[in-house]
Amino acid sequence: MSIGIAKAKSAVTPDTNPGDPAYLKIRDLIYRISGIYHAEEKLYLLISRCARRMVALGVASPPEYLEHLTTWGNRDAELRLLLNEITIGETYMFRHPTQLDALRNVILPQILQVKGLISLKRLRFWCAGCSTGEEPHTLAMFLLEQKDKLLAGWTWDILATDLNDNSLEIARAGIYGEYALRNTSELLRRKYFKDVGDKKLQANDLLKSQIRFDRLNLSDDSKMLFQKGMDIIFCCNVLIYFDLASKRRVVQHFYSNLLPGGHLFLGHAESLFQVDDSFRLIHFPGTTAYCKPTAPPAGGGKK
Amino acid sequence: MNSTLHAKLETEIKKLDSISTAPAILMPLLDILRLPSEKIKVEKVVELISYDGSIAAQCLRLANSPLYGRRQTETVRSAVMALGLERIRSMLFGLCVNRVVPKDKWVIEPDAFWRHSLGCALVTQRMAKKIEYPEPEKAYLAGLLHDLGFLVNSVLYTEDFRECLRRAADQQVALHVIEEQVLGFTHCETGQMLCEHWGLSKELVDAARCHHDVSLLPAAGPLACLVHLSDLLCRVRYLGYGYEEVIAVDLGGDVAWQTLVTTYPALENMDLVRFTLDIDGAMEQIVATVDSVFGGKRIAAPATS
Repeated sequence: MSIGIAKAKSAVTPDTNPGDPAYLKIRDLIYRISGIYHAEEKLYLLISRCARRMVALGVASPPEYLEHLTTWGNRDAELRLLLNEITIGETYMFRHPTQLDALRNVILPQILQVKGLISLKRLRFWCAGCSTGEEPHTLAMFLLEQKDKLLAGWTWDILATDLNDNSLEIARAGIYGEYALRNTSELLRRKYFKDVGDKKLQANDLLKSQIRFDRLNLSDDSKMLFQKGMDIIFCCNVLIYFDLASKRRVVQHFYSNLLPGGHLFLGHAESLFQVDDSFRLIHFPGTTAYCKPTAPPAGGGKK
Repeated sequence: MNSTLHAKLETEIKKLDSISTAPAILMPLLDILRLPSEKIKVEKVVELISYDGSIAAQCLRLANSPLYGRRQTETVRSAVMALGLERIRSMLFGLCVNRVVPKDKWVIEPDAFWRHSLGCALVTQRMAKKIEYPEPEKAYLAGLLHDLGFLVNSVLYTEDFRECLRRAADQQVALHVIEEQVLGFTHCETGQMLCEHWGLSKELVDAARCHHDVSLLPAAGPLACLVHLSDLLCRVRYLGYGYEEVIAVDLGGDVAWQTLVTTYPALENMDLVRFTLDIDGAMEQIVATVDSVFGGKRIAAPATS
């Protein structure tokens, strides 16, 4: 990225007045393209992310920045950079405790009940687009903590995939600083990490052994077909970079990869509205997930 | 509920008038609240508020709070103007009905009750607008009043109702499920009776009566369906009854949704994730309003950004 150079040439102060209609247009554009929605009260967040890009570009006026996103030749690249800004800081451990609550209180008990009837007491989790590994490590800690409680007598595996080799390398090393661990309790740090100096902690062998990292392109149809028998898929802030057709294809893959009663978690503000209507949208306290119904929908479903 | 119990409840509800001190302005206020906000006369509202010193003081306090611009508001009229009719009417209603329950008889935390009621009012109204329901003001009122039965249960069955809340919180389940077990009736039935006793319209009565019973919803009409869905949405967004509930809601698969969609096809075009994010922001406002009116303690919800 050439942000550094751009920064040097610009000393602009972007106009961050939320009343500027250009920001609403950018909000709608982001929603249309990525499915990420900024409610009225969260518009300031979007504006601050735009402002960073505007500084980098040396653009002060929101309508002009909107042009960068819509009419200029580099609009796709700029959109990607803005999406990067929007999702930055999304990854730290225990970023979405409400998803884990939903798993513990509702989803897993349901799945265990159904699967408990058959002999194989095994669960499959997949973090699709795991980036630098915070999410699968969180999940692994969560599951280990349930080992003698909810999950007594059960085994599981966690598949964590990403397209980016650099991210995967970081994820495999499992070395994290204070930012990534800001929501991780002292107890969990002691149980699942070791001090490697320089204010960093590394996932210990037990934690590492829970996760299988692999390189996977979600658009690679032939590979996607192989990820069967999943109970839970996490895919947070990944689909936002896909166009509608690819997004549909990936979501359909997820659907067939999941077992009936399985759930797909997306990023906090991501929606599959008008992308897919085979999943059922389920509201849990503070979060939502998409459920693959156990029986085929009896018509009149709602995405 | 059998007819003996029904008759007993009806007699009991009439006692409410003597046990509690509903402010004199409550009835005229109900008349005003039935109108769409553009038809409400500011002068009439100012007059009503001025009748009641403590309510007038609360209005001034709220108008002067940082939430609404910290301006120096010294008259009831300017407080009404500063807050806007929408906010005033919710607040007034809250304050009035608040007094229906004597201090020592509150079972649910008053501010949890008001957050849920105001939250439901707002969500019902917003959803009504989205689906192009012709009377969003009425929808607001239906949401505001749907749980009045809790007040009846608090005043008339204080100890039993306290037990209901304790068990519901322990088991992390919906309160009406436990009410049915412990009391033999729910706040839906007592709410219905209070609404009837106060002479509210049939639709509002039905919204109170049916909002937890999906078997009644198809016949009860759109308001009851809207309130049912809003109540669920509020409960999954930390505006429940003040305790943690284990709950999973498939709104699109709900009877109320299916019923509404036949008359209001616009519902199909509602992105529920987006709608939920929209109401999250509005709910922060509600919590702030309730806190500033009741000076209550907050029930912290996990931060979502």
